[in-house]
Amino acid sequence: MHISDGIISTPVCIAAHAASAGLLYFTGRKAEAAEIPRMGMTGAALFTASLIQFPVAGTSVHPGLFGLTGILLGRRSFPVIYMALLFQAVFFQHGGLLSLGLNALNMGAGAFAAWLLWRLKGLPEYLRSAAAGFLGIMTPALLMTAEFRISSYGSAVALLLAIYAVTGAIEGAITLSAVKFFRKVKPEILTN
Amino acid sequence: MKNGISDSNGSYDSVIHRIDPVAKIPAALAAIVLIVSEPLNVPISRFALYMLIILFAAALSRIPLMRYLKRMLVVSPFIAMAAVFYPLSLYLSSRELFLLDSDIIYNTAAVIMMKAVCALFVLLLLTLTSRFTRVMPALRRLGVPPLAITLAALTYRYIFILSDELQRTNRARESRTPGRLVSNRLGVYGNQVAVIFLRSWERSETVYKSMLSRGFTGEFPYSNYSGPDSRDFLIATVFVIAISAVRFISFVL
Repeated sequence: MHISDGIISTPVCIAAHAASAGLLYFTGRKAEAAEIPRMGMTGAALFTASLIQFPVAGTSVHPGLFGLTGILLGRRSFPVIYMALLFQAVFFQHGGLLSLGLNALNMGAGAFAAWLLWRLKGLPEYLRSAAAGFLGIMTPALLMTAEFRISSYGSAVALLLAIYAVTGAIEGAITLSAVKFFRKVKPEILTN
Repeated sequence: MKNGISDSNGSYDSVIHRIDPVAKIPAALAAIVLIVSEPLNVPISRFALYMLIILFAAALSRIPLMRYLKRMLVVSPFIAMAAVFYPLSLYLSSRELFLLDSDIIYNTAAVIMMKAVCALFVLLLLTLTSRFTRVMPALRRLGVPPLAITLAALTYRYIFILSDELQRTNRARESRTPGRLVSNRLGVYGNQVAVIFLRSWERSETVYKSMLSRGFTGEFPYSNYSGPDSRDFLIATVFVIAISAVRFISFVL
C-alpha cells in the first residue's frame, strides 16, 4: 500500500504534499503538551505493530492498523500516521519522500473514515470495530486505485481492490479483537 | 535489534556525511522531483546518467555499495510489481494488446521502474548519511513546525523501545499458539497489537511526567546546533545542477 516515488505522477504527489501539510496543521493544532508524548508513543506503537507479520496463502502480510489508530486518536491520528510513514520510508524504504504526502493522505483518510464510523453509537461495538478496521484498509486502497488511474494506469487497476478486501477483512478481525481487549483491560482508552 | 531497525548511520564519516541536513534535505528532494518528473516517454538510457551521478555521490559517502543494494533489494519487488502492473493493467483493461504499441508500453513500464529506483537511491543516500540528531534541528531551521519535530523525535526514540517489546510479545504469542490455524490466530494477533498500544499509552503517561519535571514546554531545545556553512550549500548545489543537467539535456542538445 506504500506508494514509492516515481510511480504516481509528480503533480499529484506535490499536490498531496501541500494538502497533507495543511492537514498536519489542522489536525495537530491546539495539541496540548500532554498529548504530544502520547501521540509520539502511539506513532511508535503503530510503526512497531505494523511489523508483525502473519502468514496468508503462502505469503505474509502485516497489519496497517489505520482503523485502530483512528479509533484511539480520532483526528490526531493524521500527524501520528504521517510520522509512522516517514520512519517507514527512512528505515525500510516503504514509500518515499515525494510520495510521503500522498501515502499519508491515503492512510490518514482510512483512519479518519474509521473514526467517523466508530462514532456511530447506534451500531453494536463489535460491528463498528470490525468495520472500522476494514474501512481503514479499503479507503486508502480506493484512493490508491484512483491515483493509479490518474497516472495513466489502465482501469483494471481496480482489481487491486479485491486483494485489499481480503487484507481489509483480516484487519477487521484484528481490530475487533484489539477493541475487545481494550474494553476488557482499559476501557477508558476507547472514549473518542 | 532484530527487526532490521538500526541507527548505525554514525559509523561512517565522509564529505557527504558532513553536509548539513539544511542543505542536504532540499537537495535530495529537488533531485527526486527532477528525476520522477521525467515524462514517461523518455529514453531509458537517460536513467543511466542519473545513476552515474547518484553512484558517484554514493562512492563519496564511503558506505559500501552492498549496504545500499541490500536496502534496495527489500523494496525492489514492490517497485517491479508496480512497473509490471502498468502494461498488465492496460492489457486487462483493453483485452486487445495488439491495439497498443507494445514497445511504448514496455518502455513506459521500464521508465516507471527506473524513476522509482533512482528516487529510492537518493532517499538511501540521504538517510544513510544523515544522523537523526542533526536532522531534527535542521528541519526546525527549514521551517517545519515544532509539533511535527517533537512528534518525530519522540516517535523515533520509542520505536527502539517498542521494537524490543514486539520481540517479547512475538515470543509469547508463538509459545502459546503453536501449530494453530491462521483464522484462529487472528484474535491472538489482535491481542498482541492491543498489548503494544496499551503499553505505549501507559508508558507515555510516565514519560510525560518525567518530561514535565525537566521543564518540557512542548518543544525540545537544540541549542548546540551550529547550522550549515557555504561549503555545504556548494556541494548540494553541484549535485542538483548535475541532476538538472541530465533532466534538461534534451532541451540543450
